[in-house]
Amino acid sequence: MGQTMVEKILARASGQESVSAGDDVRVRPDFVLAYDFPGYTNVIFKQVREEFGIQQLPSPERFAIFIDHMVPAVKPEEEDFHEGTREWCRQFGIPCIEREGIGHQVAVETGFGVPGAFAVHFDGHIAQLGALGTFAVNMPRQTLVEAFVREYIDFRVPPTVRVDLVGELQPGVMARDLFHGIMAKLGNRFAQFAVLELGGEVIEQMSLDGRQAMTGIAMFTGAISALINPDQAMLDYAKPRAKIDLEPVASDPDCTYAARYTIDVGEIELMIAVPPTPSDTQPLRHYAGFDVQVGYIGSCASGRIEDLRAAAAVLRGKKVKPGFTLNVVPTSQRVMSQAAREGLLEVFSDAGAFVSSPSCDFCYGRIGTMRAGQRALSTGTLNVRGRMGSPDSEIFLVNAAVIAKAATTGLIPSPEEMQEELVQ
Amino acid sequence: MSTLDQTLLAQMPRIHGRVAYIFEDDDFDIDQIIGVKNIRIQDLDELCAVAMQDYDPAFAEAVKPGDVLVGGENFGFGHPHSPPMRAMRHMGIAAVIAESFAPTYYRGETAMGFPQIICPGIRDLVARWQTVSVDWASATLHNVDTGERRPIQMPSVSECRILAAGGHKSYLQNELARQHTGA
Repeated sequence: MGQTMVEKILARASGQESVSAGDDVRVRPDFVLAYDFPGYTNVIFKQVREEFGIQQLPSPERFAIFIDHMVPAVKPEEEDFHEGTREWCRQFGIPCIEREGIGHQVAVETGFGVPGAFAVHFDGHIAQLGALGTFAVNMPRQTLVEAFVREYIDFRVPPTVRVDLVGELQPGVMARDLFHGIMAKLGNRFAQFAVLELGGEVIEQMSLDGRQAMTGIAMFTGAISALINPDQAMLDYAKPRAKIDLEPVASDPDCTYAARYTIDVGEIELMIAVPPTPSDTQPLRHYAGFDVQVGYIGSCASGRIEDLRAAAAVLRGKKVKPGFTLNVVPTSQRVMSQAAREGLLEVFSDAGAFVSSPSCDFCYGRIGTMRAGQRALSTGTLNVRGRMGSPDSEIFLVNAAVIAKAATTGLIPSPEEMQEELVQ
Repeated sequence: MSTLDQTLLAQMPRIHGRVAYIFEDDDFDIDQIIGVKNIRIQDLDELCAVAMQDYDPAFAEAVKPGDVLVGGENFGFGHPHSPPMRAMRHMGIAAVIAESFAPTYYRGETAMGFPQIICPGIRDLVARWQTVSVDWASATLHNVDTGERRPIQMPSVSECRILAAGGHKSYLQNELARQHTGA
């Protein structure tokens, strides 16, 4: 009987020959990751030291803390908070990584995305390590403390739901459209409590950027994480920078999936996720012509080089409409430097966009906040009420090129208008 | 580790109470319980004062310790914050019973020691203010008023231990103590 990728990963990490979906296992995370955030890391740090009396972390080389929220600090208390994180990390001898960008992306860039590895975090968007074949799962609230106070965690092996994407992409359709298209077809709970495994010829031809965009928001299908069997391109990226040496794994052809779907991507057009829920995904054309005042290109979901290229292709030589706010926030410093080398930052700057160094803060309205009555187009992770400011503002999720186009007109573009951009 | 023994079952929280409210909608966003504009409130009394105002303004007076909430499919979908259920627990709500749950919500509230019980068909089984009871040993939910029963989906062993301990932190402290004594 074959095994799924997640079964193989959890078998190795729990020291067993094989495990099956539904088994309760004690499993050792290869990586324990977090970003510093009030109510999470400060609580965990305090518990570790004061309530569990831990002086040394179990195998501290597995840990990394990222500073990517509240960046830049706007209150002295926030900088105090960051300093508390730095100090704790110094005392426990673990890396505190900052000024490199959004942690989930930096984790990919700096070798935490090891094919076959198991990683934990408190934030579910860490699932994007699945683009490289790492099973990365969130431990909600402060339960991540479990990985700080002992070598293993208790975990139930999840089932896997497989989605194969086949066929030919429609022009202009990007990874975010594909994800929203999958949700439009299969709903928001088809992978409930499962691992979403993506595959098929479309995924095989997809860039790492696109794979991260899709795996990073898998939670909106009900999945606890997402995985893609690593192909040669991903191994070539991951292997030279890998923090640990592991044998990559892939799902066996005869493994047991809880469900299996095949989607012809030729049926997926430009899409939009309509507030106040990420599960209301519709064709973009349903909202063409709606006025919009804010655009945000960035986040751990999108904001990588291919997103910036797509947006810059639309904005080159054009101006952002007066009164429209366009925030362009590359996902990491490396992405930003690459964008600079390619002249993309110049395009955004000349167009009148606000271009920022990497930060998570635009995604949840701490920076670039919205007032009541405003409508945003965003590549951020989420569009629930109040996410980017006033509870009476609205967020529509689309691909980066659609935002760039809307920034020049103040209107949500039609698919035909986006088509014209591709021809130019 | 992999089996639910009688000792553990006996330690599971007792759930026997009235259905204080039924959230009929699927994909219910729990932040609506207090309203998004109140999501940053931390004070429990303030939270309780705004809770359920859009659903039943008399809820706070009617609810009694031990009561439960009932929900539909994918209860807790969205980006759930902790204040709404902090308020519900403070008001005495002992469990949420739903057709199914969104995983992040389910796992987060379970970690608080707050039972989240998956019971397919629950919306057809109960009416508001009827009394329900959970029998962990037989994994069934009992409508005390009508006599009807439905199976529930048992939590994982570690989730049962978390619920028995009253929350993830106590569970972890118990586990480490057990390990320390070699028990």
